[in-house]
Amino acid sequence: MNPNVSQSRAEQQEIDASARWPVTVFLGSGLLWLIAGGALQLAANIQLHTPSFLADCEWFTHGRLAPAAQNALIYGWGFNAAFAFGLWLMARLAATTLRHGGWLFVAAKFWNLGVTLGIGGILAGYSHSFELMEMPRFVGLLLLGAYALIGVWAVTTFSIRNTENIYASQWYLFGAAFWFPWIYSIAQVMLIRQPARGVMQPVVNAWYVHNLHGLWFLPAALAGIYYLLPKLLGRPISYYYLAPLAFWWFVISTAFAGGSRLIGAPVPVWIPTLGTVANLALLLPIIIFGLNFFGSMVGRWGAVGGSLSLRFLALGVAGFFLNCLLNVLLSLPSFAEVAQFTLLSGLRDWTAWYATFTVVVFAAAYFFLPRLNGKEWRSSALVGAHFGSTVLGVILLVLGYAGGGWQQGGMLNSAPVAFADITATLSGWHLLNTVGLGVLLVGHLAFLINFLWIACPINSQGTASVSIPVPPALALAGKEGHP
Amino acid sequence: MNNGLLLFLGVFATVAASWAGLLLGAHKQIGALPQHRDQIDQSLNPAPLTGIADQGRLVYQDLGCVTCHTQQVRYAGFGADLERKWGERGSFARDYIREKTVLIGSSRLGPDLRNVAARPYASAEFFHSMLYAPESVAPGTNMPAHRFLYSVRPLAGNQSSYKALKLSGRHAPPDGFEIVPTPRAEALVAYLMSLKDTYNYPDEQELNAPAPAKEGGH
Repeated sequence: MNPNVSQSRAEQQEIDASARWPVTVFLGSGLLWLIAGGALQLAANIQLHTPSFLADCEWFTHGRLAPAAQNALIYGWGFNAAFAFGLWLMARLAATTLRHGGWLFVAAKFWNLGVTLGIGGILAGYSHSFELMEMPRFVGLLLLGAYALIGVWAVTTFSIRNTENIYASQWYLFGAAFWFPWIYSIAQVMLIRQPARGVMQPVVNAWYVHNLHGLWFLPAALAGIYYLLPKLLGRPISYYYLAPLAFWWFVISTAFAGGSRLIGAPVPVWIPTLGTVANLALLLPIIIFGLNFFGSMVGRWGAVGGSLSLRFLALGVAGFFLNCLLNVLLSLPSFAEVAQFTLLSGLRDWTAWYATFTVVVFAAAYFFLPRLNGKEWRSSALVGAHFGSTVLGVILLVLGYAGGGWQQGGMLNSAPVAFADITATLSGWHLLNTVGLGVLLVGHLAFLINFLWIACPINSQGTASVSIPVPPALALAGKEGHP
Repeated sequence: MNNGLLLFLGVFATVAASWAGLLLGAHKQIGALPQHRDQIDQSLNPAPLTGIADQGRLVYQDLGCVTCHTQQVRYAGFGADLERKWGERGSFARDYIREKTVLIGSSRLGPDLRNVAARPYASAEFFHSMLYAPESVAPGTNMPAHRFLYSVRPLAGNQSSYKALKLSGRHAPPDGFEIVPTPRAEALVAYLMSLKDTYNYPDEQELNAPAPAKEGGH
């Protein structure tokens, strides 16, 4: 792209060193939110089968606790993790160092201040009650300001790239960096500052929530899969020439699919219909993603089992296809008739931000943290505990939300069933979900301990035996745009 | 795909098209729905919320009731909302123009509330009991008690307030005490008591007809 600087193409170690502290700060604060949000989420879920739990404290009534937990996990963990991982990946793929990282600390401070005030505001009773837009009004500006600084870094790093090619991961990261501030400010204006009238509000809210998952978390996860899969398998993405088609088709379909959350709602019928059509159009990119990801893994299943990052990555790929499947199913009116308003419809977003995005970030973290810090993981038992509890927790929660939700929907649609009977039936499923959330929380604690060990500069014990496994050489490295 | 400018323009156009097509399009269609003037009694429908009910809407927002309750009745033939007597008809877009914040919700861990004031048992007394001690009026519910919306105060020899909750058994206050709603509880109940869409708009009535039988449907 820029021949003048191509001679000064940065070395990987140099890039990693420049990204070390920003990544550590973002990932560290994200992990604290992951633990805090997970604890809040666990408490909120306990309230579903034990309603007296924390009920007398106004700050922790279920209606405040559940959105507070969701916001802590999405804006606290999800965004911090996406910043950490996205900035590092952007720098690597652009073959340039992450410059003036000090400003990113300022941005991290403001972002986390905003999230803290937002969660506190929800618990204290300043919630707007719009899904994922609950935070008090003033927090919006704080988050947008902090984001502006981070987004500019990502885009600047992209534009001073030293590479000829733009790799698939960069399309997704670049797109996500632009889409989030746009959808967030539109939602801020149309829901909170100049609220639209009547049912326009649910339309805007559905559009925002769908795009937040489909145009922020999923692109970030796809960027990770496109980068790590060839890197760890030592072979290029198969059918890579189809990837641009999948990219455009996926993002355009997703941008129009928000209405699919409003099937049967009191809105003009073209809005949910457009959503259904857009979601059904996802079938083509799903096939291409399948060719890209599974095509690359075919014949290398041994490698997948042998590498921890690859095992997480395979779980993330499975989560991604589950999310696509749920998106398609929930936009079919006959399926939505049963599944909407149940635990099953909540599973769609959970598979996007957790089973896909979070799991891919874990895969990436096991790849980049040893390289950034020049150390090995201290405790392999904790690593094993983390992977085991992630797999177990994901399976339990998918079963709990899908099974419970399907039964709940069937009972809701059968008028003779009394509401108290539905509640009684569901409490068993809620209990299962509490176990699942608890298992995930244990895994996150294990990861946090290992993270503190590897990121702490004082503890240099690991440095003695640096033996970072060299990733297998990539046959088409230059062509695929890998640095 | 190695042209950064094209990538940028495409990324830009994607959300611009979705925003203009979906949101601005919908806004043009329903963003300015007017009230309907009844031809016979010249009333304007839906009637605006009363002042205290509008305050109650804010309490509904701050307590996050929308986490478990929807406020939308699905039309006949789609789900069993009408069979469950959650409304006499499916909800229309026009029903919602009276509220400054529209929370149609997306989870039904609790029942739909759009027409909760039109139910046979609906009364301020019922809603206060439901909020203070859900089990006292809805056995088997998992709705959390909202005791913090009420104050328990000593009678000190005075007559009991006319607002005091009439609870019996294990939910009753100790002797010599009474439970009275705070202003927030009264506002919230006023809002709940305002939730009924009973007016049938002639323009939308045809939408209310049962959906044509689906081929191969059940």
